[in-house]
Amino acid sequence: MNATPNNIPKPTSVDLRALYAETNIGSLLTELDKDLVGLSPVKRRIREIASFLLVARARERLGFSSAPPTLHMAFTGNPGTGKTTVALRMAGILHRLGYSRKGHLVSVTRDDLVGQYIGHTAPKTREILKRAMGGVLFIDEAYYLYRPENEKDYGQEAIEILLQVMENQREDLTVILAGYTDRMNTFFQSNPGFRSRIAHHIDFPDYNNDELLQIAEKLAEEAEYRLSEGARKALGEYITLRRQQPNFANARSLRNAFDRARLRQAERLFQREGAISASELVTLEASDILASRVFKMDK
Amino acid sequence: MRVTQGTFSFLPDLTDEQIRAQIEYALGKGWALGIEFTDDPHPRNTYWEMWGQPMFDLRDAAGVMAELRACREATAEQYIRINAFDATRGFETVRLSFMVQRPATESGFRLQREESAGRVVRYTLQRR
Amino acid sequence: MLPYAKMGYWDADYVPKDTDVLAVFRITPQEGVDPIEAAAAVAGESSTATWTVVWTDRLTACDAYRGKAYRLDKVPGSADQYFAYVAYDLALFEPGSIANLTASIIGNVFGFKPVKALRLEDMRFPVAYVKTFQGPATGIVVERERLDKFGRPLLGATVKPKLGLSGKNYGRVVFEALKGGLDFVKDDENINSQPFMHWRDRFLYTMEAVNNAAAHTGEVKGHYLNVTAGTMEDMYERASFAHELGSCIVMIDLVIGYTAIQSMARWARNHDMILHLHRAGHSTYTRQKNHGVSFRVIAKWMRLAGVDHIHAGTVVGKLEGDPAVVAGIYDCLREPSNPQNLQRGLFFEQDWAELRKVLPVASGGIHAGQMHQLLTYLGEDVVLQFGGGTIGHPMGIQAGATANRVALEAMVLARNEGRDIWNEGPDILAAAARHCQPLRAALDTWKDVTFQYASTDTVDFVATATAS
Repeated sequence: MNATPNNIPKPTSVDLRALYAETNIGSLLTELDKDLVGLSPVKRRIREIASFLLVARARERLGFSSAPPTLHMAFTGNPGTGKTTVALRMAGILHRLGYSRKGHLVSVTRDDLVGQYIGHTAPKTREILKRAMGGVLFIDEAYYLYRPENEKDYGQEAIEILLQVMENQREDLTVILAGYTDRMNTFFQSNPGFRSRIAHHIDFPDYNNDELLQIAEKLAEEAEYRLSEGARKALGEYITLRRQQPNFANARSLRNAFDRARLRQAERLFQREGAISASELVTLEASDILASRVFKMDK
Repeated sequence: MRVTQGTFSFLPDLTDEQIRAQIEYALGKGWALGIEFTDDPHPRNTYWEMWGQPMFDLRDAAGVMAELRACREATAEQYIRINAFDATRGFETVRLSFMVQRPATESGFRLQREESAGRVVRYTLQRR
Repeated sequence: MLPYAKMGYWDADYVPKDTDVLAVFRITPQEGVDPIEAAAAVAGESSTATWTVVWTDRLTACDAYRGKAYRLDKVPGSADQYFAYVAYDLALFEPGSIANLTASIIGNVFGFKPVKALRLEDMRFPVAYVKTFQGPATGIVVERERLDKFGRPLLGATVKPKLGLSGKNYGRVVFEALKGGLDFVKDDENINSQPFMHWRDRFLYTMEAVNNAAAHTGEVKGHYLNVTAGTMEDMYERASFAHELGSCIVMIDLVIGYTAIQSMARWARNHDMILHLHRAGHSTYTRQKNHGVSFRVIAKWMRLAGVDHIHAGTVVGKLEGDPAVVAGIYDCLREPSNPQNLQRGLFFEQDWAELRKVLPVASGGIHAGQMHQLLTYLGEDVVLQFGGGTIGHPMGIQAGATANRVALEAMVLARNEGRDIWNEGPDILAAAARHCQPLRAALDTWKDVTFQYASTDTVDFVATATAS
């Protein structure tokens, strides 16, 4: 309500460290490092983006003109490589830096945006957009929006609406599109409007075997289980075999394997007679892992 | 003749910024927002026309303001109000309701009197 | 004479059942009377005991009917007062009767000589018992839906002067106040039907004023028509006339008695009318801390009985009202259930079992300049009544009403925007007054009016600051 009087001089320098501390994104970035295994190129990009946005804020403070930076992003990579998780963290970072009013994440796929009959799509898409306003909209497998082979497909309508919002309401909403790398590239080629609106493309590489083992250990720790020496070794072999088989979904596949191992442990303990110690309840043994079909498949 | 229904009708008409602030307040309380319009502001007219559907699960006012803009364009000479609805137990009712558009001239009401037995009068309101 | 404690009226091991009615009394035993014995005596004299043993007791399952004092605490900071907790079996009470409840609990014991002073502080009603009462005929939610008024306190005023106006002149005051911006106007408690104004004339002229003001504003307006009379039959006659004339609300005084109040609540429910209760006479027994009945208990009884509005204190006005005590009373009226809260004088938790909520009314010496304090202390679900503050306005009654309404709306707007209204209140009012001459005049006229006196009825438990 009160205008700044004209005779107060604008600041001529800014302490970036202080600004950094003020926004408190340091804790978010540290959390990111700690909670997510691997992903070092991704983490590096995120730090770059955060620094860029911090500098944009600083420039604003010093009175330099700054059109609001474009924030829309594309995350490419195989399933289970952490795209949704990072999107959630990104929403928090944008919020702390003041580029997202509320900082929440709304995660959708094509079916949430596209209708089944004429006139269904626009209200459906607008509904999602209203909920996402003030935060971040994450569209997984975004390329499914575009189905040129089916003339009755209503995805095009959703695309138009999204493009318009991405252009005209940048201060209200940030959009992150995600999916397999090559399919995303095809999608962008057929819909160049998206490519020009996206400021940051981040690629999510597959985890290597060591990283996958680390993820499995984290899962176990969170669920209050421990892996015996034998189990750890078996898990390493499991990973090597599994990733060569179809439909490997990185961290997600590890989670499934872990859940199945727990089932086998339960079965094994149930067959035993006599009292079961706390340590046995908590430990997964090699046999729980080696029973997997994955080991039999190449026979 | 200004119809003074709604929570803020004795204040000057709310600016868009003030409307946004009230919407943010309602969202902060977890209330759902609805936009309604009518050309019949009789005090016993409970059911105004709904603009679209009530909006649940919103976190930010931008979506509501966009709908309000669209409603204003479509209903230039009608009354529009915004309602905030609280679905928690013990309430399950509107918690805030205020005008966001009025026709340029408000014709108001005339009191109709129908004399009955003794000194009794039956009253009703007619639009002027 | 066998000591009460030994007869079974004191049992430190008794665990109250969920279905017991509980009461806590503040007792001041006479010098030389053992406090436990005094507590047992209170339990006894409010249930089955007499001053000597009688053989006919043996014809009953007498232990079931005894009130049991099960706990005794010294009142913090007092030398001679104790809190005595008593449990009564549900079998002692007739379903759905406040008259029976009160005759049972306070009908006999308060004159008892061994106790120098006695006050009923709080009660707990089991859900089983609560369910036998109608509860508020309308309730806050439905009242607001009928009035179509949400998001702010309601505004009212009592017609002044208290006595003497004729029907036609009375209606003029009502018209001016409603047209100016109030939601309700009110009959005073002793306006019933006197030589200077017969009730029928008041009702007829008032409804003309109400409808006329509604036409000018497009709002639902109301006037609390007082139907208090000498007999129940007269009351029904007056209430029916109010209904016939299209009023949305009627009013009764506490002095008509608990049975009449319950009857009127049932009538109001069956005629879709809001029932306003004026707590006339209560201060004779609610005000002194050591003797009487706390208003908190009256408020609970009235919620069960079924009134929709009850005067419950303003904190900053001319009538008695300590902030913590008033907050506790408002909680009893407005909340779906109350946890124990000693800092607000609530000794028991109370589940209201889906009973509707009563709208508290704040009336007595309040003015627009206090709007930020009123909104902070009392919240949104309340009727703020500015009698003198409306009718005594230098620019006239309409201006007085407008000043109050603008002050209120501006304060609510600011609060919703996140402003600190407790500290910025005067600034917010001044800013609103820039667009509203009547408000400017009101603030100037009454800016120095406050009623700062020590409360006679305060809470006993205060939060002690802990060293961090």
